[in-house]
Amino acid sequence: MAMRIRTFEYFIRETFISLRRNGLMSFASISTVALSLLILGLFLVIVLNLNHMISTVESQVQVSIYLQDDLKEKDIRQLGTEISQMPGVTAVNFVDKNEALQKFKKRLGDQQGLLTALGDTNPLPNAFEIKVDKPERVKAVATAASKLKGVEKARFGQEVIEQLFRITRMLRIGGFVLIIFLALAALFIVVNTIRITVFARRKEIGIMKYVGATDWFIRWPFLLEGMLLGFGGSLIAVFFLSQAYSALTNQIYKTLTFLPLIPKYPFLTNVSIVLMIIGTCIGALGSSISLKRFLKV
Amino acid sequence: MIKMIGVSKTYSNGCVALSNISIGIDKGDFVFLVGPSGAGKSTFIKMLFREILPDSGQLFVNGHNVLALSNAEVPFFRRTLGIVFQDYRLLPNRTVHENIAFAMEVIEAPHREVQKQVNYVLDLVGLRGKAREYPAQLSGGEQQRVAIARAIVNKPSLVIADEPTGNLDPDTSWEIMKIFSRINRSGTTVLAATHDKAVVDAMKKRVIAIECGRIVRDDVKGAYGYEN
Ligand SMILES: Nc1ncnc2c1ncn2[C@@H]1O[C@H](COP(=O)(O)OP(=O)(O)O)[C@@H](O)[C@H]1O
Ligand SMILES: [Mg+2]
Repeated sequence: MAMRIRTFEYFIRETFISLRRNGLMSFASISTVALSLLILGLFLVIVLNLNHMISTVESQVQVSIYLQDDLKEKDIRQLGTEISQMPGVTAVNFVDKNEALQKFKKRLGDQQGLLTALGDTNPLPNAFEIKVDKPERVKAVATAASKLKGVEKARFGQEVIEQLFRITRMLRIGGFVLIIFLALAALFIVVNTIRITVFARRKEIGIMKYVGATDWFIRWPFLLEGMLLGFGGSLIAVFFLSQAYSALTNQIYKTLTFLPLIPKYPFLTNVSIVLMIIGTCIGALGSSISLKRFLKV
Repeated sequence: MIKMIGVSKTYSNGCVALSNISIGIDKGDFVFLVGPSGAGKSTFIKMLFREILPDSGQLFVNGHNVLALSNAEVPFFRRTLGIVFQDYRLLPNRTVHENIAFAMEVIEAPHREVQKQVNYVLDLVGLRGKAREYPAQLSGGEQQRVAIARAIVNKPSLVIADEPTGNLDPDTSWEIMKIFSRINRSGTTVLAATHDKAVVDAMKKRVIAIECGRIVRDDVKGAYGYEN
């Protein structure tokens, strides 16, 4: 056992000697890995948040029915009764246009100034907000309601969902291409860093072979070095990503409270773990490639 | 200890370095391998520690069928050998002590064993007082003694040396050979390739002479046999 610990010490020592001796290259590798992982992380965070929004919207089995402006109170009441009798409708709630404006102002928070341009006019219509028992029924209810007399328009989450899906799809494709490209760049630079290390230590490697060190004994310090480069890069990426997401969520909670962002914890922790694993794997893969090509053991 | 049967080696450029060599070297022998430059001495030596593989023939070293070894077995086979080169091959950024200890550390020898064994071989080559110096601070002869110490620190049963005195003056060469002699007396087989006529003639050991890849002479108490 004591022997194993000394061997481990040896690996760690050799790894750090290499990292130091190769300072500039190590720095370049860590930076490249960090940059690629940061961008990967950003895409991950954005796409996951969009998915979260989609499912949030989908779970809202709600339809908004906007009414024409010139309806009498009696007609409105009549409409309310008709709607409440439609199959699947579980609740009907009338939202007065003034009440709607107050609500909207509250949502805007600090940014109510935006509304001053409107002066005294209220652009919002009277509306019914209705709840449906099952998400599958939402579309049918909305269609039926929109055909009723006095109804201007019936809206439900579907349009928002489709919009979100479109954005997510584009981000996924664009992000995928960019991330593959950046991962290859990171891999390339790790391969080269390890190649330089192998070259700098060719004399040691030669002696190790002559005295009978096993291939794995020779490989381990290089492998560790690569993994450390990847891991270091991922730590930097995780740091910046966490800072950015914290700042963003704080800002959103203050102003756009209705936007359903994924809460920081445990979301950020999970994303960080994923990034650290990917970083370490890139490092390990890079050094393996380098060892296969440049370390003839 | 060493058994070669019909070994031949032709390099990829068509150069025939060894042709149909058969030879046996017993345990405890001290053997010189002599011959002019380009005769095939280095090829012969490299074959013994499986640096290169022959095209044909059979080769047994220290009880291992060298040509049948798997890649994973090669390191363990090499632990039974000590190898010394003309150019010493010491690590410049490590002290004498560290250079020798390195050979034990990389085969994961226990720490206490390393300390004991390194001091023992330093005494054997007479460099205990220089343990903390770096190779650049040593003379050529001293550097070669460090390399020899490193070669024997893992207690090999066979030490092979390729022109160990090739870069040294006659007096120093003689000292190096006396160290090999001492190692041999403790039971270790020694095979040294050289074209140092004076040394070979004085030592009166077995001499295998090769020329153009063939054994031309094998004398039990031989002399170099050429006029340089
Ligand atoms: N790697 C090589 N590729 C091609 N030819 C080689 C190589 N190594 C040695 N030779 C040739 O093989 C012959 C024997 O070389 P070598 O074993 O080094 O002889 P020595 O050590 O006795 O001087 C020489 O003709 C040399 O040019
Ligand atoms: Mg030679």
